[in-house]
Amino acid sequence: MDRMKVEDLPMLFESVKVEFEKEKDELCRMDAELGDGDLGLTMSKGFSALPGLLKENMVAGDVGQTLVKSGMKMAAVVPSTMGTLMSSGIMGAGMALKGKDSIDSEGLVTFLSAFASALQRRGKAKAGDRTILDAAFASEEKAKAALDEGKDLAGVAKAAYEGGLEGVEKTKDMKPVFGKAAVFEEKAIGKPDQGAYAYTVLLRGLLGYISK
Amino acid sequence: MKKIINRPEDYTDDMLRGIYEANKGKVKYVNDDLRCYCTARKKEGKVAIITGGGTGHLPLFLGYVGENMLDGCGVGSVFQSPSAEEIYNISKEVESGAGILYLYGNYTGDIMNFDMASELCQMEGIETRSIVGADDVNSNKDESKRRGVAGIFFMFKAAGAAASSMKSLDEVLASAERAKRNTRTVGFALTPCVIPEVGHPNFTLKDDEMAMGMGIHGEPGIWNGKLKTADEIASESLDTILSDMPVEKGEEVALLINGLGATSVEELYILAGSVFKILDGKGIKVYRTFVGEYATSMEMAGASISIMKIESKEMKSELDMPVSTPFYTQV
Repeated sequence: MDRMKVEDLPMLFESVKVEFEKEKDELCRMDAELGDGDLGLTMSKGFSALPGLLKENMVAGDVGQTLVKSGMKMAAVVPSTMGTLMSSGIMGAGMALKGKDSIDSEGLVTFLSAFASALQRRGKAKAGDRTILDAAFASEEKAKAALDEGKDLAGVAKAAYEGGLEGVEKTKDMKPVFGKAAVFEEKAIGKPDQGAYAYTVLLRGLLGYISK
Repeated sequence: MKKIINRPEDYTDDMLRGIYEANKGKVKYVNDDLRCYCTARKKEGKVAIITGGGTGHLPLFLGYVGENMLDGCGVGSVFQSPSAEEIYNISKEVESGAGILYLYGNYTGDIMNFDMASELCQMEGIETRSIVGADDVNSNKDESKRRGVAGIFFMFKAAGAAASSMKSLDEVLASAERAKRNTRTVGFALTPCVIPEVGHPNFTLKDDEMAMGMGIHGEPGIWNGKLKTADEIASESLDTILSDMPVEKGEEVALLINGLGATSVEELYILAGSVFKILDGKGIKVYRTFVGEYATSMEMAGASISIMKIESKEMKSELDMPVSTPFYTQV
């Protein structure tokens, strides 16, 4: 596969949905240690709805608008903080891809980069704050490098996933600044950030479909 | 829980159905969504002002949609933010060529959703500006982190008056900013309220206790203790307000004495009397007084005192601008 069209989007996110279903309990477990304990539920609820929303809100020949409209609907399904952040990422990626009829290797980098900046705008965190952003930025960076090396769509997706995992690894040594995790600072050191981990679940889902 | 309802989960939508029926021709909803509350009397070329927030604070927020005030309101469930999509749909309905001001309370969920709606508007070439009410002095030392409570009424009045005078988006924003800069509020609760879907009170206070500084969603205040007299409460509240925002002898202020839902209007006037005595003693003139329910917390008992310092003639004319909404009339 060298490019994904609008019609691919529901299948692409079906693959993401399957990954979040697999990780639901693990995400809840991680979150219970350092937060509310509902992250797995929120993520699987939101991403379970997304493939259907993409079908219902498909704009012919426009990947961007389809993502924006579906992300907006997804935000209403999961109004919690992480739900809103993920929906904002989808919408942000859509805005950057507005008018595009497909996503190629360069489009995927645009997707990742706009997703990360939407997360940052919405959550007002920065790199190093031990949040989802630390996975998102690391993923974006590695994907960009892969694109510069001339990698194809699957190669860029693979790099994005690997970059995300490296980002998660780095959060283990970071002090939490945001949310309930900040209250449990001592407990957090040595453990990966659950939001960053959730981002790699998303990336794994994308990679799974793209490399099929 | 003793409430006149059908089912707890229908609290917000049943309320909205009643409001629309009672105010036909004045307000309406769009996109088949009761939560997208809009004026039915759109004025062409005027800056549109949209607010939003959780249900449970009437007349805040939707009650201020009407003549010379606001144009739309995103209605969330009890104490919950409206969705970005709802705010966006309201935006598309009420926008009339001069841009939109989003004016709402300083709460994380609301900020995220209004910001998201604003990005969607920008994508379609609709210009927006945002400002949040953050007047509750006791909620945080840092002004930018304060909660928005009853004092947002002064921002609604100022921005509404500027917009109805056909000022530009940036001028309307400047009026809201000026009101914000000069407004401080202190609130206190005597009894809790019950979120219908929760079914029990959101906090407990003994019969002879009050909570100073409590937020309009039952956020903890700065002290819980023995109920004080009206004079004592007024004195402590004004000390807090005036040490945060000094008002010099001879300067003028607007005063808002707001009931939280279950406190009688009689008590509000008793409190107002106490406040007048103190201000008078300090040589601070009250230009205009508002007493009543402006921002409630369902059936919570208690009140809040808001002071807006008046720094210009323009602020007076904004305060004096007549308004008419289904929930609030000022002549």
